[in-house]
Amino acid sequence: MIEAKNIDFYYGDFHALKNISMKMEAHTVTAFIGPSGCGKSTFLRLFNRMNDLIDATRLTGECRIDGADIYHKSVDVDELRKKVGMVFQKPNPFPKSVFENVAYGLRVGGMTDKNRIRQRVEAALTGAALWDEVKDKLKKSAFELSGGQQQRLCIARALAISPAILLMDEPASALDPVSTSKIEDLIHVLKKEYTLVIVTHNMQQAARVSDKTGFFMLGELVEFSDTKKMFLNPEKEETQNYLTGRFG
Amino acid sequence: MKHAEKELIAIKEEVSRMWTLVLSQLEKAKQAFFNNDVEQAREVVSREKRVNTFELKIDSDCENYIALYNPVAIDLRLVLSLIKISYTLERIGDFAEGIARHIVEDSCDAVTESLKDELELAVMFDTVIEMLSDSFTALDSENTRLSGKILAKDERIDAIYRNAIRKLAVYLRKEPAQIECGLKTMLILRKIERIGDHCSNIVEEIVFYIDAKVLKHKKNREPAA
Amino acid sequence: MNKRTSQRIAFGIFRILGISVVGILVGILGFIVYHGVGAVSWEFLTTAPSDGMTAGGIFPAIVGTLCLVAGSLTIAVPLGVMSAIYTTEYAGNGRVIRLIRIMTNNLSGIPSIIFGLFGMALFVNRLGFGDSILAGSCTLGLLVLPVVIRTTEEALKAIPDAFRTGSLALGATRLQTVGRILLPAAFPNIITGLILSVGRVAGETAPILFTVAAYFLPRLPESVFDQVMALPYHLYVIVTSGTDLEAARPVAYGTALVLIVLVLFMNLLASFFRKILDAKKG
Repeated sequence: MIEAKNIDFYYGDFHALKNISMKMEAHTVTAFIGPSGCGKSTFLRLFNRMNDLIDATRLTGECRIDGADIYHKSVDVDELRKKVGMVFQKPNPFPKSVFENVAYGLRVGGMTDKNRIRQRVEAALTGAALWDEVKDKLKKSAFELSGGQQQRLCIARALAISPAILLMDEPASALDPVSTSKIEDLIHVLKKEYTLVIVTHNMQQAARVSDKTGFFMLGELVEFSDTKKMFLNPEKEETQNYLTGRFG
Repeated sequence: MKHAEKELIAIKEEVSRMWTLVLSQLEKAKQAFFNNDVEQAREVVSREKRVNTFELKIDSDCENYIALYNPVAIDLRLVLSLIKISYTLERIGDFAEGIARHIVEDSCDAVTESLKDELELAVMFDTVIEMLSDSFTALDSENTRLSGKILAKDERIDAIYRNAIRKLAVYLRKEPAQIECGLKTMLILRKIERIGDHCSNIVEEIVFYIDAKVLKHKKNREPAA
Repeated sequence: MNKRTSQRIAFGIFRILGISVVGILVGILGFIVYHGVGAVSWEFLTTAPSDGMTAGGIFPAIVGTLCLVAGSLTIAVPLGVMSAIYTTEYAGNGRVIRLIRIMTNNLSGIPSIIFGLFGMALFVNRLGFGDSILAGSCTLGLLVLPVVIRTTEEALKAIPDAFRTGSLALGATRLQTVGRILLPAAFPNIITGLILSVGRVAGETAPILFTVAAYFLPRLPESVFDQVMALPYHLYVIVTSGTDLEAARPVAYGTALVLIVLVLFMNLLASFFRKILDAKKG
């Protein structure tokens, strides 16, 4: 279970997240929607501490995963990121072979047993619904795959190290409709084993894949409710205006 | 205004025109009934086709709107309720036509003015016409304050209807020769009562659209607004 | 004059200038090949100079230059690559880092003779290396250090941030990210830096003048503390201060040709290596 409590986040002087509290249950898909610059991606990146990489940021509030404070001094960030995987907006496979891309997380984690690595890679590629398409090109460069395949490769890469949570930052925004629907189908399957949090600027995508939806605007969490409720009967005027395209 | 919004408003206006037509069908059927005006009844029967055309047009407009604009939230609720409202209006149109057909086919002299009075037929007619026009006002002004009043009127119609059946039975026991006319009158009563039910359905759709509350099949239908 | 005519004239001028630059280069090369090719023979390449450097070969100078190239790169590459990694991947963008960048740029603008003088003062005298391959390599290493740093920095900066975030998001440390993702990805471009450095090191005369180069030493070095001959310095010597300048002229052209071919060969080797790497990565 992921839990954020009274989160405030600053980029320098810019107040990017304003007093956000939210709970996400295990084995659910939570979607964050909202206009560009509303803070949804920033909020997502809190959970694997990717915001640490940016200079001059400041965070107050509590961020817990399964009860443990992930911003506690004793937390090993690299270990945290093994538990909280991430898939990015643009497919970003490494300039390596298909196999080595998926094995990367295992290797940097210290796994050396070739057979085990092979098994895990196959399992991860199967889990990402990619195995049948790439089993004959494992040695080929990852760049030879199509955009949609590359993105599923990146999902496989994240799955290989058996995370509990998978964060997805607009995972289908650079893909064509067919690849997008493959990713969406995959999200439905992955839900059984992982807790997923997905940022998307495609509202219909949020509607299709998520159980709960959070609507962000200007750094605030305007509304957080069951996706079905939000898309049929949002509570707040702002949500309604955004969803129906009357925003701004 | 957004393009998608304009499209939706166009559909809503189409429904308004259908509403006006059905309302006038109902009023004309009532006049034909009370005046035994066969010509007027024929007009109602022939205009029924236009009501059907409206329904088909609105149906396809709504389908296109959903397919092309993927409406959500209030837009989705509006388009869903417009589909159901147009379907319901069409049914009300059917009933108006049915009433008119009874008049065209055979005027029953036996159904005297006094019997009409006794059965409170005029009250029933006026009440459903009010319901239909009030619900139109509710949708047009996007206000659900009237909904409680409209739903209450339906209960009143139901009461009058039950009462009228009893009175009709008493009358027919006295005049068994008029049984055929009596049955026809009962059918008309039944149709008016059904129109009242349909008006309630329309109000429920309007409440769903505006307040997103589901009133259907609930005991206490009084909206909290 | 309409637009089309003026454009035609402008591009005509550009073309003439472009062709003339190539022409000059071809001219120089042709001139050297023409005069030098007669002097080059198997013997010329494999024996030491004789008869007051008017005859014999330039073998010790070739070996010396190769030693200096290898030595200076051994010093400059690890140092340069590591400091580039530090400045681009770890240090952020503080005031100190900006100062380091400015200094690095300035370093590459310093005349090479100053490096020679500095090398003599520090490595030859202060550190007591004497005139030696070690002192010369250190001096040449310093000379090409800015080139190595700059090209490595550029190579690292050219790598999309997505690789870094992707690696870190999988729980890799920064060091693992550098070692397993960034350096392999940057390697082809770093090699470009090496090519530039090789050319520079092989061709410089001034920095080795006071630190390593021998006027005449017809034997091969045995350790890094030996002096060596070097091609550019040898060329300088036989053209300006030999025993018989006229007689040594063909030897001079031959030496020049060998130097050019050597640098060219090393460049080709490096770009061949780079192509193989690129192909492997796909």
